[in-house]
Amino acid sequence: MAGRGRGGKTGSLTAEQMQALGCVGKDMPQVQSAPPPTFPPVLNKPITLETTTAQSYQLLWKEDFLNRMRDSPYYIISASQEKKKTDVKDWREKAIQRLKHRAQAEFNYKAMPRELNSTSRKRTAAELRPKQVAKKNKNIEDRLKQLEQKELKSGAGAGGDNDNDEAKQESDSEREDEQEDPEAALDDEMDEENDYANDYFDNGEAYNEEDDNMDDGPVY
Amino acid sequence: MSADYADLCSAILEQCFGKVVQSVADCLFSATTRTLSQIVSSTNFSRKEVGLALSVLIKFRLVNFEPSKSNAYLPEYSLRREDVICLLRYSRYIHLVQSKYGNVGASIAEELLNSGSDTATSILLKCLSNGENKSETAESYKNILLKMIADHYIIKSPELITSEEGDDLVPRFLTNECDFFVPPIIDLQLLAKIQKGESTLSNAQDSAMVWHLNYDRFHQEFRDDIMKIAIERKLGENAAECFRFILNIMYNTTDPWQRRVSNQVTYVEIKQTIERKSNNLDLLKHLDQYIALITDDSLGFLRKVGDMGGGQYVVDMESSFESLAFACVESVITERFGSKAARIFRVIRFKKFIEQEDLQKEAMIPAKEAKSLAYNLFQEQFIHVKVIKKAGGGGSGPAKAFYLFQIKTKDTVRMLLDVCYKALYNIIRRSNFEKSEHKGLIEKSQRLDSIVETMKERGESEDYIAEIVETFTPPECEILNKVKHRIKTLSKAELTLDDTIFLLQMYQHHCTTLPTGIQKFK
Repeated sequence: MAGRGRGGKTGSLTAEQMQALGCVGKDMPQVQSAPPPTFPPVLNKPITLETTTAQSYQLLWKEDFLNRMRDSPYYIISASQEKKKTDVKDWREKAIQRLKHRAQAEFNYKAMPRELNSTSRKRTAAELRPKQVAKKNKNIEDRLKQLEQKELKSGAGAGGDNDNDEAKQESDSEREDEQEDPEAALDDEMDEENDYANDYFDNGEAYNEEDDNMDDGPVY
Repeated sequence: MSADYADLCSAILEQCFGKVVQSVADCLFSATTRTLSQIVSSTNFSRKEVGLALSVLIKFRLVNFEPSKSNAYLPEYSLRREDVICLLRYSRYIHLVQSKYGNVGASIAEELLNSGSDTATSILLKCLSNGENKSETAESYKNILLKMIADHYIIKSPELITSEEGDDLVPRFLTNECDFFVPPIIDLQLLAKIQKGESTLSNAQDSAMVWHLNYDRFHQEFRDDIMKIAIERKLGENAAECFRFILNIMYNTTDPWQRRVSNQVTYVEIKQTIERKSNNLDLLKHLDQYIALITDDSLGFLRKVGDMGGGQYVVDMESSFESLAFACVESVITERFGSKAARIFRVIRFKKFIEQEDLQKEAMIPAKEAKSLAYNLFQEQFIHVKVIKKAGGGGSGPAKAFYLFQIKTKDTVRMLLDVCYKALYNIIRRSNFEKSEHKGLIEKSQRLDSIVETMKERGESEDYIAEIVETFTPPECEILNKVKHRIKTLSKAELTLDDTIFLLQMYQHHCTTLPTGIQKFK
């Protein structure tokens, strides 16, 4: 019977099918025993096309467009690829390359997921750090003043009060620190890098893990 | 979506955006959705690079994102596979706009294509600063932009929803069908101020309204052109004009992408419209004959469905694109296997099912030749075989069965479409190869050209210039011309192939129920 198995759509026919289709004896096509050549000979030459004015306009525009894209900042070259290239190039070509990449990419990051915006994250981090440094500087100055006062006092007053005074001053400055700090603390909390809740994602693999352990037998 | 289409998309994206975007898109093509970290782990690029590539793809509206179902803070990305091939059609879009709205319109569309999507004020600013047409004022740019919006060539992007907390991890959008084409308010005085540097773009009133090109409106125009040109070539200019009016009337009541047939149009409507808008007396005089001519034609563009209002007609998209697509398939067969094969194909199509022996008689081709041609067509999957088994036969000897040739229209078109994708991919590969093979030569000639140009500007002597030009030796010149000619032929083939692809895609849209990615609004 024809159509053995499920080979209905293989594109080749059995001998019986061929016979029914009229391919008998000499008419039978050669059985292929090797893969077809990668570049089979072209049997008939395609006709050359005529170019209309509309087409030539489109051709010119397209070439221009592709060149523009290649020079635009949206043509992304991977860092690893670029390294390879710069090894070969001389300084002149490098300069040309730099000129080409002068144009800045414009992205409307508001309309994109925030994780794609690599620049904004850096900026927030950069803004945070100087603030904290400034605060510390201020604190140090305060503290130096206090120490100065203390020294003056201790030079003038009795030695017994000294410890108490120092303790009091210390606690004062600490309190000040605490007063100033909440902002910084808040900032720290807001920092995305530390907000694991954002990146936390349970893929559910851990679910039912206890069961698996149970299979190994009871734990003595 | 076939493997050939995947290769093609990959090659197109590499050509436009480079290797990183290519591999990110490849990764997205093979999956419904992916998250950023999944893409990073499967592409071996750094997170930053992948992020940049995704931004580029989103900017050019080739990638969509949505919050994941299990975690609202985690965006998932998906590639708009059907839109990738539109990158190849950019030149056609520009040409259409150029012929409709002139150079001003073309430069507006160009800026929109370059930036993916943008606000109206910003587009106008870019057009004015690029200044290809210095004589045009901001006023005329504005008017043309508004006209293009009114004609639906430019569409408003979904509006960004700004939440109270400032910015979400995954931005959300609001799509409102009512204001897709509501013209924006463009303040020309502010525009002038920004140009002088007295104000900034953020002060513009329309900063929340972002616009992009409406590809499907262009496709609608291309489709209508195909039909009009077909009628013009077959039935003459007047019939084509008549059909143009019928299409215009049809769009009053019909969604342009309605799949099979349009809603009804009456004879009286057609007549009144033509009386009002056309001064072609010849057409008016013989209008009923022209309509009858289009209706009776074998292309089957128009079909009479009733007698109300002087005759009710529908535009039959299904039969029109079936006949157009198969005219194309037949011409492909003629070019590849000769006209006799095309005759065999036509006979099978006409008879629906036919046996080998009858085929020879019907096609009036000698038995042996008919056999080998039919076999070739079968091997290349232009035609198919249907087996009808006769019941019984028992265990003794082979049971009787009939083998009938037939054409599975959808399969044939799909196969041809894949061949086209593959050919397009090969063309792109080949032309990239030519460019890289002769890179040195091409760059040398470009450098030489620029040197000669500056020398001419400086007004140096002709002899000296000629001496410089001679550094480009005749054999080099010969090779360069050959390469240039080859590249030009290839890119011309690209354009022509895309025409075929477009026609076959229209067949798929109008004659099948396959998802084609064409919606009224995207």
